[in-house]
Amino acid sequence: MKVNVGNTTIRIERRSTLRWWQSAVASVLAVVVSLVLVGFAFLHVGASPVAVYREIIQYAFLSQYGLPQTINRAVFILLCAYAFIVPIRAGLWNIGMPGQVYAGMLAAFSVAYAFGAKTSVNAPIPGAIVIPLMVLGAMAGGALYGAIPGLLRGKLQVNEIVTTMMLNSVMLWLVAHMIREGGPFMGRTAEGEGFSLPLAARMPQLWNLPLTVYATLILAVFLSIVLAKTTIGYQIRAFGASPAAARYAGIREGFLCTFVFLLGGLFAGFAGYHYFAAVPGVYKIPKSYNDFGDFSFYGLITGLIAQNNPIAAIPVALLFGGVASGARFMQGKLRLAFGIDYALLGVLMLVIVAFQALAYYRLALERRVPAAVPQREIGESRVESPHH
Amino acid sequence: MSNLLTISLAAAAVFAIAALGELLEQRAGILNVGLEGVMLLSGTFGFMVAKTTGHYLWGFLVALAIGALVGLIHGFFSITLGSNQVVNGMAIWIFGFGLTTYVGYPYTGPLGLKQFPNLLGLPPFFILALVLAGAIWFLLYRTHIGLQLRSVGENPAVAESSGIAVIRLRYLAAVLAGALVGLAGGVYSLIYNPVWSYNYLQGWGFIALALVFFSLWNPLLVLLGAVLFGVLWQLSLYPELLFPNFFSRYLWRAVPFLITVVVFVVMSTRWFSLRWGAAKPQALGLPYQRES
Repeated sequence: MKVNVGNTTIRIERRSTLRWWQSAVASVLAVVVSLVLVGFAFLHVGASPVAVYREIIQYAFLSQYGLPQTINRAVFILLCAYAFIVPIRAGLWNIGMPGQVYAGMLAAFSVAYAFGAKTSVNAPIPGAIVIPLMVLGAMAGGALYGAIPGLLRGKLQVNEIVTTMMLNSVMLWLVAHMIREGGPFMGRTAEGEGFSLPLAARMPQLWNLPLTVYATLILAVFLSIVLAKTTIGYQIRAFGASPAAARYAGIREGFLCTFVFLLGGLFAGFAGYHYFAAVPGVYKIPKSYNDFGDFSFYGLITGLIAQNNPIAAIPVALLFGGVASGARFMQGKLRLAFGIDYALLGVLMLVIVAFQALAYYRLALERRVPAAVPQREIGESRVESPHH
Repeated sequence: MSNLLTISLAAAAVFAIAALGELLEQRAGILNVGLEGVMLLSGTFGFMVAKTTGHYLWGFLVALAIGALVGLIHGFFSITLGSNQVVNGMAIWIFGFGLTTYVGYPYTGPLGLKQFPNLLGLPPFFILALVLAGAIWFLLYRTHIGLQLRSVGENPAVAESSGIAVIRLRYLAAVLAGALVGLAGGVYSLIYNPVWSYNYLQGWGFIALALVFFSLWNPLLVLLGAVLFGVLWQLSLYPELLFPNFFSRYLWRAVPFLITVVVFVVMSTRWFSLRWGAAKPQALGLPYQRES
């Protein structure tokens, strides 16, 4: 397609590949554009978007209350992003983060339950044993639940998008069964929420943050090494680039698909542990646990924006953690309707995908040398090609 | 019991209309995995308009229009820009989920319109679904344009060289499908369960997507599958009708989703997968670049 402006031709061309910085620019621009678009919602309630964003940043990154909240949310988002990134590197879509988060959460609380945690908040249970077991249980729970769609995809060619989504709903109702109407995990006094974790079984803190935050940073390094430097990481990329070629090269499809979902689910399971058993002020399966399930889809966007790079995902997750905690704060202050952070999530998703698609197109400017007007002879007819 | 059947058929209408739209589009080679998002958008805006104006008609018109518009956007990215259709579909789903959560929130609660009357004792939109299934079957297998549409989904390059306007047909399919899926969203939020709450659709869009795969891309089997899932969904809501005091009511709610996964497993057996592979439109999900 081309357009003539004066003696310059503007042509739209399609690139065959993108350089890393080109997609990085597209990602950053998409975030900026989305924040501006959502800013219109603030105008709608009569507040200046610039002032609102300044307050959000002030609260989320510079205040004593907001910053730990931001980091705790960011770690949750980051772990969910890893749950998405590992399979997508192999070209597979894990949208089962909510289910895997719930599975990890349930597994962690099952461990605590087995040690008699339900009896009282002061139950004397051996934290040094129970806490590590809860973490391992959560990772195993998320990994095993994640492995189901991976196995079905790898062995039976079942579409993983539909199965992960279906399994989300299955786990959603299983959690409801456990914590509501006399379910085994129902709190002793609370209605429709889980029992409170005993003090002895809560994750210790360092510098005002639970240890899971620091563990996540170690996991980030571990994941980047696995993806970039190991044989399995190479196989994952090869399978993502071309499943047929990878099969031809002897990569076992069933194993690989199961593995990526297993590893992804492990991160999501740990996210479930982190938010419900380690973040101060929660320490139970809350009534609104499904809010956090939906919130895990921020991981998907974080993965897309970070171009599936585990380290690049860290600042992106921090940004979204900040926006989410800041927006909740402003929501109360400005009496905004519920869900401005979800609106941002939706707008971001559309804009990021649009920008990444459009990044493949570039405008090429061509100066035409003014040519002499062609001499037209009488009787000669020029046929214009319809394509131009 | 007859009451259960009626409401099951009302649920079946939602599944069927959405899945028929998706089927039409997939037959032309376009995959939209974001049905859930389309239905959330059309259902929410339809609900808002119907509640504000007090008329069903405006609600349905808006649902149709929003669906068609989203179909057009999905078409633009998938057909013209040729970007990954799964990514586009996912974007539409998350966009729909995120935006409607915010926009619809002030409208939380019941619609408050007079209940929509039944027709011949049946939910009217189930009758529409019956008609649509027949019409789409007739369109695909008995008309010239249907043959063209299917050939576009099987092998667009060959279709193009035999003089079929591939791009135009794919756009037509995408917009028409979007309108149908949008209508299904409206039927859910205005008729089947006219109470808005955030993310109210609970995965129905994804079940409809699964139905298209189950049906081997046959509109009549889509209809059958939709009726089965409609009944199944109602039984999961009222399990005491069949199995009193067995499982908690929450566990029953998980059953339709579990059965979807089980059906997928059964369908992967050799007998099915051969037929499935043969029925699947060959160019499904693949972008088509016209050679210049």
